[in-house]
Amino acid sequence: MAGSEGFVGADNAEAIITRIEHKTRKIESLLKQYKTVEALKTALEGTYAMTSDERCKSAHWIAVHRAIMAIKDVDGMLSSLDPEYYDILMKYLYRGLSTGDRPTCDQCLRIHEKLTERAGHGCILRFLTDTVNTV
Amino acid sequence: MGSTLRLYLTCIRNTLHAAMCLQNFPCQEVERHNKPEVELKSSPELLLNPVVICRNEAEKCLIETSINSLRISLKVKQADELENILTKKFLRFLSMRAEAFQVLRRKPVQGYDISFLITNYHCEEMQKQKLIDFIVQFMEDIDKEISELKMSVNTRGRLVATEFLKQFI
Repeated sequence: MAGSEGFVGADNAEAIITRIEHKTRKIESLLKQYKTVEALKTALEGTYAMTSDERCKSAHWIAVHRAIMAIKDVDGMLSSLDPEYYDILMKYLYRGLSTGDRPTCDQCLRIHEKLTERAGHGCILRFLTDTVNTV
Repeated sequence: MGSTLRLYLTCIRNTLHAAMCLQNFPCQEVERHNKPEVELKSSPELLLNPVVICRNEAEKCLIETSINSLRISLKVKQADELENILTKKFLRFLSMRAEAFQVLRRKPVQGYDISFLITNYHCEEMQKQKLIDFIVQFMEDIDKEISELKMSVNTRGRLVATEFLKQFI
């Protein structure tokens, strides 16, 4: 299956980090235009690439965190988000909940409740069982 | 403030509802043994991702699941030294009587104040929803209990001091 290489080439990781930097700039510009849902979608796309490298994971997390903290209207955001993003969003919510930082945890708890109502408990279970693609 | 508590408990309730999918699984290594896999952690294929849910810097909850058992560890908010001592003593009192609770663990996991161990046998004897309700109710009540204990300690201290110092008037 593509993407399951054990050894992470240094140049590959660098390419991913550069891509994430581009993504972060795009997210910042979208947030300035108050397009929070598009910013979140951009942040969540392509996060499965090179999931073994810690730096890539941290860089992805920083981008997603920025997008999550900018969300004010949770219901509106979830109704306009495609269902295919629910699982990956749930994974990042749990990463946010494990940080212990008060504003992050507040926001993540708020989104978690609404997301569980929409996506169901299966979404949580898919996060718990997926030990391969962790974020 | 109250709303974060409600959200925190809802999150824990939903996560437990999803994670409490336990079935009987005899030990793979030793014949005729049946051990809670979450305690041994010997086979990674039997374990699910552990989850840490933090409400803030002081309160958090660790949920670890495996195929036949689930471990929930709680860290309770302790605002000052007195609450620290009261929490430790009170939860130690409960943990020592873990037999009566059935799902309580005798020693909390490192870094936490109290731990629960739920096995597939508990799920067979008791209803899953009621177990989750018990854990969430426990979390709500523990804060109230610690506040009540603190207030009674302060009240008693004040009464004792008043009575004692009366003789010097």
